[in-house]
Amino acid sequence: LRRCLVSVDMRLLEKSFQEIRRTLQTKDTFKNVTILSTLENLRSIKPVDVCCVTNNLLTFYRDRVFKDHQETSLEVVRRISRIANSFLHMQKTLEQCVHRQCHCSQEATNATRTIHDNYNQLEVSSAALKSLGELNIFLAWIDRNHQETSAT
Amino acid sequence: DGATILPAPQNFSVRSTNMKHLLMWNPVTQPGETVFYFVQYQGEYESLYMSHIWIPSSQCSPTKGLECDVTDDVTATVPYNFRVMAMLGSQSSAWSNLEHPFNRNATVLTPPRMEVTEHGLHLVVELEDLGPQFEFLVVYWRMEPGAVERVKVVRSGDIPVHLETMDPGVMYCVKAQALVKTIGRHSAFSQPTCVEMQGESLPL
Amino acid sequence: VPYAFCGLPKPTNITFLSINMKNVLHWSRPEGLHGVEVTYTVQYFIYGQRKWLSASKCTSISRTYCDLSVETSDYERQFYAKVKAIWETRCSEWAETERFYPFLETQVSPPEVALTTGEKSISIALTAPEKWKRNPQDSPVSMQQVYPNLKYNVSVYDTKSGRTWSQCITNSTLVLSWLEPSTLYCVRVESLVPGPTRLPLPWKQCISTLEVQTSTWKVKV
Repeated sequence: LRRCLVSVDMRLLEKSFQEIRRTLQTKDTFKNVTILSTLENLRSIKPVDVCCVTNNLLTFYRDRVFKDHQETSLEVVRRISRIANSFLHMQKTLEQCVHRQCHCSQEATNATRTIHDNYNQLEVSSAALKSLGELNIFLAWIDRNHQETSAT
Repeated sequence: DGATILPAPQNFSVRSTNMKHLLMWNPVTQPGETVFYFVQYQGEYESLYMSHIWIPSSQCSPTKGLECDVTDDVTATVPYNFRVMAMLGSQSSAWSNLEHPFNRNATVLTPPRMEVTEHGLHLVVELEDLGPQFEFLVVYWRMEPGAVERVKVVRSGDIPVHLETMDPGVMYCVKAQALVKTIGRHSAFSQPTCVEMQGESLPL
Repeated sequence: VPYAFCGLPKPTNITFLSINMKNVLHWSRPEGLHGVEVTYTVQYFIYGQRKWLSASKCTSISRTYCDLSVETSDYERQFYAKVKAIWETRCSEWAETERFYPFLETQVSPPEVALTTGEKSISIALTAPEKWKRNPQDSPVSMQQVYPNLKYNVSVYDTKSGRTWSQCITNSTLVLSWLEPSTLYCVRVESLVPGPTRLPLPWKQCISTLEVQTSTWKVKV
């Protein structure tokens, strides 16, 4: 199974997130709810399902999180824009790479559904805020599965 | 509110070299007055999914200058829309929009400057620091018939890289090209630089 | 004993100090409570779970740190911790940490480094740092297993020429074969893992290459 490497500047994405992490996570007061880090969800994903889950998560952020989040701080807006546009580029790269490889097994579909169910548990703005605060989980997933260094 | 009296900035264009992206426009002149300019941008995400959103540029909102470095704003390899407006007190112009969206994969990549030194027995190269996006492909060979080209990837500029321990009396040549993975492109090779190791060559 | 009145100032500077997954909570004594017998109680929270849990080893303690390595050993989860000050029947509000993610925040110590020198060479043998162990007799786990793409940044400073080379390597040995004899070189090694930049923990040592051994024959053309 060929790995799909995405050429995005991970260091800049992680730096952009680090610069807004405290702001986002401090406002998130629902400690007992998590969107992405239902770890059994992500850690149990088999290699064959990696690309499907990555694609579904990119769509989740593109179509729900970034749209649902209302932000007043210009510094936060700029960094979310960096991440959103990098995800857009990543998705295009993935689509070119995957051709027919990116099928979704039942586990991958379940994992994605759990994420959406977690999101639906909360009121939209709280869910979007929490998902943004959990971007470090998704960035670590991308680093581990789609970066050249993780290929060695 | 500010009546639109000022003319919009003209000849709004972008020039990009080695992943440094610069917007430029003609001045809006008001005798004896200082006109300010506001630059805003939209990445492809904003233009596709949140088209009402325009983000003030991090360097030029406002600026008195006639150019704006948007390198820190253009951080993804997707098309970006830009617009600029002139302001004088409460007066503001209409927006001038960039004729075509700008994608950083159109940047001009120049062959990297490099310094090749022979330091004692060692062939050492130091490359121009073009920023964190850049890697370099360094090719070097012995100046003799049938010589094999050897390649080394250098992750960043401004750090001396040891290429080879050389044989005395032999000329070595080096050339390099810049690589930018995030846009999937590379520059042309630099002109080869050759150095000869002092001392007599040993019999083979 | 129920606390009649909280009112004490909170502990300050509460933060996790994490190295190789040994996660120790640190805090500073509340301001304005000099010469007073203050004790502290610590709780922690597993992000996404239901409630705060007591740190059994850190109830009514007088020190200002608490080793939560066991409680936070599932390093792919995220955690919060909080501490409150108690003095006689009075107490403070809780002082709480930011969300702590060991996998992305632990500092990785430098590898074990063994240097051996020749006339014109230094060979560097590296052994990956070890992850924190629950019990000393547990078998060691290398940080390489936590971070498969753990790399080492090796810098060599030539004290004679004042020049520095650096190189990023993944394997455990590196031979610098292009050095000058009788020269002092300073070697610096640090571990690099993906993810957000972390505070570097470099290993440093200076060592001299050997003098040239006078050879038995010389060829001259």
